[in-house]
Amino acid sequence: MDLGLRGKKAIVTGATKGIGRAIVELLATEGADVGLCARTEDEVEATVRALKQHGVNAVGEAVNVRDGEAYKAWLERTVAALGGCDIFVPNVSAGGGFDSEKNWIKNFEVDVLHTVRGCETLMPHLEKSGNGSIVIISSTNALETFGVPQGFNAMKAALITYAKQLSQHVGKKGVRVNSIAPGPIYFEGGAWELIKGTMAKLFDYALKQIPSGRMGTPEEVARIVAFVASPAGSLMTGSNIVADNGFTKRVQF
Amino acid sequence: MAAPDDFWERSKTPAYTPVRRVKPGESPQTPVEKEPDPELGHDPVDPRRYTSREFMRLEWQRMWTKVWLLGGRELDIPNPGDYIATEIGAESVLVVRQKDGGVRGFYNVCQHRGNRLSECGVGSTGESQSFKCAYHHWEYELDGSFRRIPDIDTFPQGRPSHGLCEVKCDTWGGFVWFSLAESPPPLLDYLGPIPQHLEPYNLNRMVQTRDITVEWDCNWKASVDAFNESYHVQGIHPQLLYYLHDLDIQIDCYERHSRYLIPFGTLSPRVRRPPGIPEPIKTIMKAAGMDPADYDEPIANIRRDVQKHKRAYGKTHGKDYSRLNDDQLTDDYHYLIFPNLSLNVHADDFWIFRQRPHPTDPDRMFYDIMTFELVPEGAEWPRRAVHKRWKHGEKGIGLVLDQDAANLPGVQAGMHSKGFRGLWLGKQELRIRHFHKVLDDYIYGPDGKPADAP
Repeated sequence: MDLGLRGKKAIVTGATKGIGRAIVELLATEGADVGLCARTEDEVEATVRALKQHGVNAVGEAVNVRDGEAYKAWLERTVAALGGCDIFVPNVSAGGGFDSEKNWIKNFEVDVLHTVRGCETLMPHLEKSGNGSIVIISSTNALETFGVPQGFNAMKAALITYAKQLSQHVGKKGVRVNSIAPGPIYFEGGAWELIKGTMAKLFDYALKQIPSGRMGTPEEVARIVAFVASPAGSLMTGSNIVADNGFTKRVQF
Repeated sequence: MAAPDDFWERSKTPAYTPVRRVKPGESPQTPVEKEPDPELGHDPVDPRRYTSREFMRLEWQRMWTKVWLLGGRELDIPNPGDYIATEIGAESVLVVRQKDGGVRGFYNVCQHRGNRLSECGVGSTGESQSFKCAYHHWEYELDGSFRRIPDIDTFPQGRPSHGLCEVKCDTWGGFVWFSLAESPPPLLDYLGPIPQHLEPYNLNRMVQTRDITVEWDCNWKASVDAFNESYHVQGIHPQLLYYLHDLDIQIDCYERHSRYLIPFGTLSPRVRRPPGIPEPIKTIMKAAGMDPADYDEPIANIRRDVQKHKRAYGKTHGKDYSRLNDDQLTDDYHYLIFPNLSLNVHADDFWIFRQRPHPTDPDRMFYDIMTFELVPEGAEWPRRAVHKRWKHGEKGIGLVLDQDAANLPGVQAGMHSKGFRGLWLGKQELRIRHFHKVLDDYIYGPDGKPADAP
C-alpha cells in the first residue's frame, strides 16, 4: 500500500528521541520532508543528519516550545524552509509529575498550549495543502485512571477533546485532525526505562496489565501515526486511536 | 565462545565526563585533596578471614581489644547517672556520665558472680544514682566503687579490692568512645584526620531519627566491605544509578581510616538521560527547598544548582553551612573509621552504620543503623528515635539497605565454599583492600603475615 507520503512536508515536535524520533524516521523513509525540534541542539543536529540519509529534506532547531513566540517563529521558519506543511504532529510532552501544582501549569503550557499554538500557526499552510493532516499525541492516561491524579493525565484528555472539536471546525477546509493514545511505550532513554530503574513495582504492575506482557515500541506508534497522517488515512478525522497492546480495559463502542 | 575483545567490549567501564568538584582552596575545613593510592598489590583476600574461629579469636585478641570503639552519643547521657551499655563481641561495656560531668567506662559485669549489670542500650540510673545487680543486689556508685553489698558481714574475706573494672573512655565530636586496651593511644591520635574532616558538620545539632539493630547472617567484615565500595551500585541498587555518580568517586586511604566522595544528585554514566528528572534526584531537590516542577535546566546541572540553592537559602532555613564546601552540600562524604563505623556524612543528615561482631559465631553479626538529622535553628528539638532490634528479614530497613542486607547471607555462604578462591578486588574496591591491610597490621604485627595465614 502506498501511503502517498512522498514529497509531503511534515513538522514534528520533540523528535530526537522515542516516539517522535520514530515518527520522523518513518516519515523520511516514506519520502516525506521533515522539520523537527527538540531541546538539545546536538541531538537535533544528529537527527537531522540521520534523516537526510533517506534522501529527503530535513531541517531542525533547538526550541523550547514553552516559549510561545520563539516556538511560533520556528514553525514559520520551518514552513518556509520546507516549502509548505502537509502534516503536523505535536508530540512534545512535559511528562508526569505529582509533586507540585507547577506540574499542571507545565503540562498545560507544554502538552496543550504547544499543540494549540502549533495547530493555529500552521493551519493556513495545512489548508493550502489539500491533504492537511494533524495527528495529536495523547495517552491512555487520558482514558483510564493510572498512577496518580496528575496534570499529565488531565491535559492529555484535553488534547483528545481539542482534536475532535478542531476536526469539526477545519473539516470543510480539507484538514483532518486525529489523536493517538499510546499505552506504555518502552524505549532506551524513555520514561518507562526510568520507571523500570527507579520504581520497579510500578513497572511490573503496568506490564501485568498488558495481556501479552509486552510494552509497545516507538516504531509501532510511528506506523499508526504515519498511516493516519498520510493521504491513505483520508476517511479518518476526529478519531482517537488507542494503541496500547491491550493495556486499557474499557470497551470502545 | 566469544573472542577476548568481545569480552572486553562487553565488560569495560563506560566513558564519562568527570563531575565538577571543589578544589583544595575552595574547602573551608574538610580537606578535599586526593591522597595518593597506597600500593596494596592485587592478591585475592583469603575467605577464611570471614569464617575461621581462629581468625575471629585473633581479631578479638589483637584488634578489637586494641582499638577505640564507639560507645554512643554524649547527648544521650546529659545527666549524672545516665549511661549507655554497648555489646561488643563477648563483652559489654558501660559508659557512665559522672557527677563531675565527665564520662567513665566500665565492663558491664558485677564483681560478685559475673552477672551483667545492665541491659544493652541507653538508660539512666535515676534517683538511685547507682548500678544495682539484679541477682544479689550488689550495688555500685557511678564511679564503679561499691555502695552496698548485702550481708557484707557474711564475707570473711571482705569486699573485693576493686569495684567495677574500668575501661578507657574519652569523648570527641559529641561521641563517647571506649577502648578495651590497657593503654590505648590517645583517642585523637587514633582518629587521625577524622576530627578535622567532620568538625564543620553540625553533628551536635542533629537529632537521632533511627536507632535500629539488626542481626545479620554474615561476618562483620562482609558488612564493612558492603559499604566500602560503590562498584555494587550497578549490581544491587539499580535505582541509585538515577541518583549518584557511581564511577567518578574519589577514594582516600589514610593511616587506618579511609573515605570516598560520591557525587549525589546526578546520573550515573551507566544510564541514559531520562525524559524527566528521576524521582530519587527530585527528593534531593525538594529537601533543599527547590521545586523540581519549576526546574527547566538539564539534569546535569541539578547537582550544581542544589549546591547554589542551599548556599543561598541555608540561613533562611536555619541551617549553617558556612564551614562546609559546596560538594558537601550535595555529596556523600563516606568515611570508614576503623574497624567498624561506616559514616555517610551529609550537610543535613548523618548516618552511622556500625558492625559489631557476634560473641561466638563468625557467621553472624550485629548491624546498627543510627541516623541523624539537622534540626534547624529555632526549631523545637524533636524526640530521639527509640531503639529497635530484630533479625534480618523480619522487617524492612528501607529499599537500599534491604538490597544490601538481602545480599549478605549469600556472600557469607560463599566464603565457606570450596569453589571460592578468594575476594578478587578491583580499583573501585581499594578501600576494602586497605581495610584488610589495616586489620592485618593489627593481627600479624610488624613481621607481616606468615605465608599460609588467612
